[in-house]
Amino acid sequence: MAVRAVRWGWSRTRWQRLVLALLWLGQGIWVLLGPNPGRHWTRLAEVVSRPSQSLAARWQGWRANRNLSARDMAEIRAENARLTSELAQLKTQAAQEGPRLAEADAAVRLLGLKQQIPLELKAARVMFSTRPATFGGLILDRGHDLGLVPDQGVLVPEGIVGRLWSVSATQSKVLPADAPNASVAVMLIRSRATGVLQGLGSGRAVIRYVSNQEVVQVGEAVMTSGLDRVFPRGLLVGYVAEVAQGDLELRVVVNLSAPLDRISTVLLLPPQPPLEVQPPFFAPEQKPQRKRGTP
Amino acid sequence: MRLPLPTATRQNLLCAAALGLIFLSAPFPRIQPILHATLVLALAPRAGEPIVPALWALAAGWTLEGTLRLYPHLGGTAWADLTLTLLAGWMAARWPLESLKGWITRLAALTLLHTLLVHGAVRLAVGAHPWGYGWLWALVTVPLWGWASWRLLHAGPTPGRR
Repeated sequence: MAVRAVRWGWSRTRWQRLVLALLWLGQGIWVLLGPNPGRHWTRLAEVVSRPSQSLAARWQGWRANRNLSARDMAEIRAENARLTSELAQLKTQAAQEGPRLAEADAAVRLLGLKQQIPLELKAARVMFSTRPATFGGLILDRGHDLGLVPDQGVLVPEGIVGRLWSVSATQSKVLPADAPNASVAVMLIRSRATGVLQGLGSGRAVIRYVSNQEVVQVGEAVMTSGLDRVFPRGLLVGYVAEVAQGDLELRVVVNLSAPLDRISTVLLLPPQPPLEVQPPFFAPEQKPQRKRGTP
Repeated sequence: MRLPLPTATRQNLLCAAALGLIFLSAPFPRIQPILHATLVLALAPRAGEPIVPALWALAAGWTLEGTLRLYPHLGGTAWADLTLTLLAGWMAARWPLESLKGWITRLAALTLLHTLLVHGAVRLAVGAHPWGYGWLWALVTVPLWGWASWRLLHAGPTPGRR
């Protein structure tokens, strides 16, 4: 003991003081820690681990975003494939429904024309077109079975097509208005000058027997005059494309308004229709009467 | 004339008795602070022997707070008791007792300081807390328990009186 005391150099009083100091400091620290002393360690641990926690949170967020992006990309690709498939199906369906829709559209327009002309019109379908050939025409699917006879007028909502050239039991042939051997009695809408339309082919025709004294303007509408007893007066034929002075008469070239190469359904006028037909009378829609003083 | 120190056995027995009374007087909040102040300021301090009085002071503080069951964090009172017991022991060594009057005066000053230090330490430990009137009872009854402790420690059978 003596050797140790000499070596350390501390007396009993010093040891007592050290113990007292440690006791006092320990008790004081315990008091200063306050209730729930674990919160200090928790706070210290939070402060120390804040950088690593922030880093871990960023890492987790980055991974979550990456997974989310990958999942979104996969979903987008799947949706894209599904939409592409649906688009292809819809295109196929539209291609299948296209002719039927066009036919229905044509039928609706024919129905409208039929309601505007107060004559007994008959409808027929175009089976085949031989227009590119010399003296070619349109082959209809109806003939004597529908009571058709030659020289009946044929028209579509855009204008006249021609006349029936020959009729068989179940078919008939249409001589289009632009055929070289076709003729239609027409008149100009402004000058009221009449003439005979002869075909030039390719949807064009020329009006003959129009006097040099007449004033004809390019773009003027050409209507049927009804003098040929095939078409009644007032059906649209086409529009003036060229006007040239001739020796005795004007050379008036007309672009036919009916699309002769794209006709699927036609209407047939009755044989020898009246010279002029009156459009059906539609009572104007009555507007509701307003009382005075009301807005 | 310096008074002789009581024997360690006598002082420790008195401290143990006071500690037991502190524990038993928990249902009497006016008596317990008086016994607590008696043990910490009068019975436990001993000149030149700090370890044992410090342990008695810590025991007194922990016993008081433990029986109070009032604070969420114990230890403030014990810390103040430890500080005041060490201070009283140092004062006893530095200025030895000579009369009952000086003893009571010293106890009154130490009681006042003890009151402030206890409530300061408890405030550090648990925050704001009710003071009560125990400190006032201890301060008012300083002559009583000062005289009693004087009699128990210094006025007992001594070799001089034989």
